[in-house]
Amino acid sequence: MRHTKVLTAAIAVVLGAIGITGCSSSGSSATGKVTLNYWAWAPGSAQEVADFNKTHTDIQVNYTNAGGGPQSSAKLLTATRAGNAPDLSLVENTSLPRMVVAGAPLDITKYVKDVKNNFSQGSWSQTTFSGQTFGIPQDVGPMALLYRKDVFAKYGLSAPKTWQDWRNDAATIKAKDPKLIMASLSTDGWGWYAAVAAQAGDNWWTVKKDGSWNVNIDGKGSRDVMSFFEGMYNEHLIAADPILSPTYNQQLNDGTMLSWPSAVWAPGVIEGVAPSTNGKWALAPLPRWNADDPTVSFQGGSSVIVVKTTKHPEQAAEFAKWLNASATGANLILNVQNGYPAALSGQQAAAQQKPPALMPQQTDYYSIVQQIDKHTSAVTWGPDTDIAASAFTDAMNAAVQNHTSWAGALTATQKAVVADMKKQGFKVTEGQG
Amino acid sequence: MSAITTRRSSTTGRSHLQTDRAKVLPTLILLIGAFYCLIPVAWVFIAATKAPAELFSSFTLSPGSGLVANLRSLFTYGGGTYGLWAANSLLYAGVGGIASTLVSTAAGYALAKFQFAGSRIFFGALLAGLLIPGITLAIPQYMLLSDLHLAGTRLSVLLPCIISPFGIYLCRVQANGAIAQEALEAARIDGASEWRIFRSIALPLMVPGMVTVFLLQFVGIWNNFLLPYIMLSDQRTFPLTVGLSQLLNQGSASPALYSVALIGAAVAILPLIALVLFLQRFWRLDLISGGVKG
Amino acid sequence: MTQATVASEATREGARGGTGMVRRRRRRRTIAPYLFSAPAILLYLGFTVIPVIYALQSSFFAQRLTGGGVLGIKRTVFVGWGNYLGVFQDASFLSGFGRLAIYGIIAVPLTLGLALLFALLLDAPGARIRGFSRTMIFIPYAVPGVVAALMWGFMYLPSTSPFSYVTRQLGLGSIPFLEPHGLFGALANISIWGGVGFNMLIIYTSLQSIPDELIEAARLDGANEVQIALRVKVPLVGPALVLTSIFGLLGALQLYGEPTMLKPLTNSISDTWAPLMTIYRDAFTLDNLPAAAAASMVLAVGTAVVSLAVLAIVRALTRRNNA
Repeated sequence: MRHTKVLTAAIAVVLGAIGITGCSSSGSSATGKVTLNYWAWAPGSAQEVADFNKTHTDIQVNYTNAGGGPQSSAKLLTATRAGNAPDLSLVENTSLPRMVVAGAPLDITKYVKDVKNNFSQGSWSQTTFSGQTFGIPQDVGPMALLYRKDVFAKYGLSAPKTWQDWRNDAATIKAKDPKLIMASLSTDGWGWYAAVAAQAGDNWWTVKKDGSWNVNIDGKGSRDVMSFFEGMYNEHLIAADPILSPTYNQQLNDGTMLSWPSAVWAPGVIEGVAPSTNGKWALAPLPRWNADDPTVSFQGGSSVIVVKTTKHPEQAAEFAKWLNASATGANLILNVQNGYPAALSGQQAAAQQKPPALMPQQTDYYSIVQQIDKHTSAVTWGPDTDIAASAFTDAMNAAVQNHTSWAGALTATQKAVVADMKKQGFKVTEGQG
Repeated sequence: MSAITTRRSSTTGRSHLQTDRAKVLPTLILLIGAFYCLIPVAWVFIAATKAPAELFSSFTLSPGSGLVANLRSLFTYGGGTYGLWAANSLLYAGVGGIASTLVSTAAGYALAKFQFAGSRIFFGALLAGLLIPGITLAIPQYMLLSDLHLAGTRLSVLLPCIISPFGIYLCRVQANGAIAQEALEAARIDGASEWRIFRSIALPLMVPGMVTVFLLQFVGIWNNFLLPYIMLSDQRTFPLTVGLSQLLNQGSASPALYSVALIGAAVAILPLIALVLFLQRFWRLDLISGGVKG
Repeated sequence: MTQATVASEATREGARGGTGMVRRRRRRRTIAPYLFSAPAILLYLGFTVIPVIYALQSSFFAQRLTGGGVLGIKRTVFVGWGNYLGVFQDASFLSGFGRLAIYGIIAVPLTLGLALLFALLLDAPGARIRGFSRTMIFIPYAVPGVVAALMWGFMYLPSTSPFSYVTRQLGLGSIPFLEPHGLFGALANISIWGGVGFNMLIIYTSLQSIPDELIEAARLDGANEVQIALRVKVPLVGPALVLTSIFGLLGALQLYGEPTMLKPLTNSISDTWAPLMTIYRDAFTLDNLPAAAAASMVLAVGTAVVSLAVLAIVRALTRRNNA
């Protein structure tokens, strides 16, 4: 009979646990208060949501950390298809067209007419397609160069103006200290390469007047860009290690890595990994291909979308507007999230900010950023950036491992992207367009 | 017995040498094996003591000075999320293990002690199910649970974990070996109901197998990554495996929280190591190989 | 009633060919097994059979664009065998099987070989500190894959590896764990490390069930420990070895966790390094469940063929040995 008691107890535990775990949170209560679910991953999002909840009694937001950008996009699509999606989600700009094609974001053009002017043309174009707006930009990443000012000064160098200057500086330093590398450009940095190619004049995806796509990943400008960096790699001036791997982090920490061509959100990242190097870095405009042309692209950047299956589109749009377009929201993005707000008002406020902890000595940090931002152009992302990412990374891995042409990776990527777009049913042309 | 040993030891010299070598070599090899299995685990504990700044700048096997600080950041990360993850792991593994054991025991008993139509098909289908990779089943399972409005809840992780072909197999072996058909028949003739027979005759005899199945399921569910990763999106429902993975895969715009992940990993493997160390004698793995003979 | 009287009554019943009453009781009893297996059957139907049918069905469809404009919306469309054709035309998926073969040839025999070796050593008279070794070798079983990959990742990376540190001090340079040719061994090592303990215990407990008389008889015949191990013990644990081999083979064919976890640390592992990685990428990253489902069916059929082949070979070998 002892065993019966144990058996009964076991069954009771299981049923009890099922009872408890079967509960989940949901929609709106009888009092008219609306509860929204918001997926994001940016640090500080929890606090942003908490601040919103404090000041809004009719709308409450539940924040869920759904994992990094690519992960949460994948989950979002599956969840939408299963009828399980949140009301709002943070989405990387590179993934947004893909999500529109998959049917996840809601067309919120009519809800956001009033905040449109708070964003630059470039930022707004990241979320608007054919006149329909599918999201509100949250943060943008104007490209810039972070470099170890102390090491550069030691060898009598200042911030490079062009990419060729950057290369020459690398060679100079290498001759004196072979251990150092100028940067590490990881093989999965397709978005970075696309942005730098755009800086050289080659846009990987463009939309033609008749609404069809033109894919130009394999163009001459892009090939020259790849060959340039391949040359630096072959001379051991740069490495190609996976980004933020333990090796990468170690190189940041012990001063082996001298610069990081990236974007204005980068200081927070370096500081998180290598806090001992605070005070040694500085920000400069990204090196140019053409000394007279200061245009740079955005790298990264994300937006908030309202998911199509939401039951409260208007309230969801209101939260998105508060977070991304209001002064309070932009302030939080800047200070708590360490991001550069897409909203112009936020960027104005940023100019008054103290510089990031990584370069406290660079008091004009944010005015440099504002200058950079005046000359940014947005990159158009295609509807199958996931295929591009996968094909590019695999091809680059092979190229680096086998010492074959990096430009060849572009060919492989072009082939995969065009084949996929055609299979999906898009009208595609190739070439300089 | 003693006759043999005395006969052995009476042959001088050579056999003594053989006996010594017989001791040293196996012991040495076993020690090397133990060392090989231990080094990475030891490394995790050492690395967990390093402060973030030391992690990539000091020699790999030297302990650091940041243990207490790391523990503090671990348990305050996300406002105490790590504790939640640990509780979730315990819930999934504990409740899932119990439920799985109960279901497997009942099914194993039925398959072993009854000849019923479809039993062989069912058992064959169970084993065939092992051929399909879990990843393929995951999305349809997710869709199914979404239809039931259970996706994303803790139940969506518990329910699929309950069915365990291997557990049913073990219980079948145990039932075959431990329960005499005559005892069952005798009780039936006595007029006892099947449920009573199961409860008072079969179950007590199956306890050793049930404990093994529970322990195997507990470890299996605790270490499971893919299923909870796919089913769950709310960080507060994650088990330790998914939580740790999230710490490491923040994406290229934010650095992996290596220090927190390492201390988290160290703390996460402690309960299982304790389980293995102290409950070893309950692992009746002879069931596994015994079943093959049968 | 005592056991004896019950037994004798039962035999008397049986001898008479059973009475009507017994037959009636037996019929009532036939629902019992169904009730006992009901929870398992229901769960199995729900979480294995239905998902397999769903996946199979979706493998005949695909997402195609409808609607005009720059970004139309995708809809599901029937494509027949299109996805399966795509699988066999996908060079990277197929080459994944080649890599699996190399990985499997290293991982499976080594795991089983080491497990067998350790089990035999634990069983050998004269080995010391048995309990300690057995426990330590079993510990990796308790470590989740995520943590194991993290550990070994740090052990492999030249900048943090204690092994490479030693070889660098000796002037030999870093050990190329994560280079393409070293990768197979590195990945195999992680799964060997994780699998030896569990398999060792299975074989060890099987060894325990060998009657002492057999061992003593062999010793009497003058066999030394090695001969006893090879000629007596190993054949008698044959069934356990077959079981662990099949599981090892299944595990190798379904390799996914280790390469995925090491991927962020090195350039040598592509998205499609192992077939199951391609399936994962299609299902989740590329949001293409139909293609993933088709590839999974191919993988499942391949796995079944390999497993049945192994079983057939074993059966033929044992028949030949017994004959």
